[in-house]
Amino acid sequence: MEQLTTIGINHYLTISAILFALGLYAVMTRKNAIVVLMGVELILNAANINFLAFSHYNGGMEGVMFSLFVIVLAAAEAAVALAIIINIYKIFKSVDVSSIDSMKE
Amino acid sequence: MDQTLSEFGNVFVFFLLGVVFVAGGYLTARMLRPSRPNPVKTSTYECGEEAVGSAWVKFNIRFYVVALIFIIFDVEVVFLFPWATVFRQLGSFALVEALVFAGILILGLVYAWVKGDLDWVRPTPSVPKMPEMPASKSTSQRD
Amino acid sequence: MFELPSGAEIQSIISILKSGLGFFIPEIYLSILFMGLIILDLALKGRNKSGILGWATLIGLGGSFYFIAQQHAMQAGEHFFGMYVLDEYAIFFKYFFVASGMFAVVATLADRKFDAEVKSIGEYYALVVAMVIGMVMMAAASDLLMIFLAMELVSLSAYILSGYFKRDARSSEAALKYLVYGAVSSGLMLYGFSLIYGMTAETNILKISMELADHGYDPLVMILATLLIMAGFGYKIGAFPFHFWSPDVYEGAPTPITAYLSVASKAAGFALLLRFFYIAVPHGVSPYEDILGIDWLTLLVIMSVASMIYGNVVAIWQKNVKRLLAYSSIAHAGYLLLGVIVMDEIGTQAVLFYLLSYFLMNYAAFYVVVLISNRTGSETLDDYRGLGSKMPLAGAALTVFLISLVGLPPTVGFIGKLMIFSALLSKGALYIWLALIGVLTSVISLYYYMLIPLNMFLRESLEPNEKSLNPGFLAQLMMAVLMILTIWFGLFFEPLSEFARYSSAMFGLSLY
Repeated sequence: MEQLTTIGINHYLTISAILFALGLYAVMTRKNAIVVLMGVELILNAANINFLAFSHYNGGMEGVMFSLFVIVLAAAEAAVALAIIINIYKIFKSVDVSSIDSMKE
Repeated sequence: MDQTLSEFGNVFVFFLLGVVFVAGGYLTARMLRPSRPNPVKTSTYECGEEAVGSAWVKFNIRFYVVALIFIIFDVEVVFLFPWATVFRQLGSFALVEALVFAGILILGLVYAWVKGDLDWVRPTPSVPKMPEMPASKSTSQRD
Repeated sequence: MFELPSGAEIQSIISILKSGLGFFIPEIYLSILFMGLIILDLALKGRNKSGILGWATLIGLGGSFYFIAQQHAMQAGEHFFGMYVLDEYAIFFKYFFVASGMFAVVATLADRKFDAEVKSIGEYYALVVAMVIGMVMMAAASDLLMIFLAMELVSLSAYILSGYFKRDARSSEAALKYLVYGAVSSGLMLYGFSLIYGMTAETNILKISMELADHGYDPLVMILATLLIMAGFGYKIGAFPFHFWSPDVYEGAPTPITAYLSVASKAAGFALLLRFFYIAVPHGVSPYEDILGIDWLTLLVIMSVASMIYGNVVAIWQKNVKRLLAYSSIAHAGYLLLGVIVMDEIGTQAVLFYLLSYFLMNYAAFYVVVLISNRTGSETLDDYRGLGSKMPLAGAALTVFLISLVGLPPTVGFIGKLMIFSALLSKGALYIWLALIGVLTSVISLYYYMLIPLNMFLRESLEPNEKSLNPGFLAQLMMAVLMILTIWFGLFFEPLSEFARYSSAMFGLSLY
């Protein structure tokens, strides 16, 4: 009953694990490059939730710091990624990861 | 019921109140208002403009480019909040540090600017339908 | 929720930061170089811009050697609250990465394809420098946060660089593949880091190791975290289960960048892997028995063997020289992992020496590939036919570099392999079979490497035209020097191996 009435670290970790699994699922099953990157964002945010939860329950600021940097890097990565994907779209007229495969042995 | 609500209880009450509030609003409106629909009324409200076509149109890719440049600088502010909370105690050293940080970012902005990535309307050889419109837009963007 | 620090605490923080700056000079210098190149790019106009920027980068990077050399006199230790380490090991990699950045610039200046494909060279050289900074930080990072940031800096620069030929479909595809695999693997690694942080409440790798040794750990969580982190590291070193990006990226990216990624980025991955694996993981009385659950060592052995076999076998069927070298680089990651598995001073020394030899022979081989494609416009094996008579020096040089990559005497590659295998054998009978696999797969590699000289010297060109293809005096000189160095260090390897041994000292290492 206590599990249900008070929000503890397990709740955060469960949410984060679910997010992580959803992100991984998106990465593995989706073919659209942008959706794959959205999956990556889910994974990064799952890690962020972990960091913040651990930081709160273990004490210490390292986790908070870590998640701040992750947020910023995720934005930077999204910017680079979108620039590359726009370029891919100009050339291939598609952002389907599996169909862009001009090099094969 | 207990005297003190558990944390989930708080959330639940909040959720319930939210549902009641929204549903109540709709319900009273439904009971009070006269119902006389006509085509103009049922159309989507878009700031007074006439709605043309579907909402699922492709947006110009430049929106994303500008948005991306914006979001990088927007997100970097995250680093300034922790700095600002202790700014009073930090003194000149931290001011210099923050200025260096901002300077590097501004260099990036200047680079994007000079390279022309912030220009909304790029010089294109094709003749536009309404000659005045793009020209006036481009000058206002450059200011 | 969190208390604000008092005035005195803040003063001490500031003084630590200020004292740390003294140990951070090469990195600061490189960052200023990066910004200087961006400003130079904006300021310069005219046709010769690309050349000026390239030479400025070269000179700027060369200047950093002075600051790095001064660090030998400094005390090894942690700086910036345990974020960053200065030790001989880190200094070794600083030399390594700056030199590899310089070589990438040299190869770029030699590559004619840049004139045709790239309208403005723009931020290219600045990004090369940014990658150097990131890799230098990877080798010296001692905190999970710093590791993550440094890796991302390297990755983001590398994504852009590998897609620098914007209108070229293969280059853009390379960038996309590199990006997708890179983003996923760094995300997985980050999740692994968060689990480690949860178990230990620390982000400094030394403290993590102490915490794990003192309080133990949940084996299931540890295995999960280990696997996730290995995904990030394995991606950087391009070892077997995480290699999917490398053939396409190596083939599609501009050739200087291919060389840069295959040497420097891989070395950065190994620098990180060695430090993390040797320090963050607690080593008990017998390091071979109690390493974490299904343990790192088994994982590394599997990765190593799979990389050696897969890389060497699949390379046999390749028709494109860059792609062939890509598969061979997967195999070389396998050999390097053998050295990591040894886990003692000789092993570290062997890995560092192998990296040096790989630096020399792989860069040199790619340099010749660039020169040849300048003249023929192609990188396929069939177009190498009959080149031996048209470009005799290039043919001879490439043959020497490939012999070195196989690991035959009297080249530096032979000594590198010899050191790895002897380090393995000195650990006892357990590792003989690993060394055996290494030797056998090297024999396979002999076949596909030698296809290239075979085509150059013994087969007739498909379209006979007798004009000789002279790559120019500077390029000839460069090739000759590299060829002589490859053989010279194969015979007189003492200084390199001494340097590698001297550099195997890591801060906070209790393993050996």
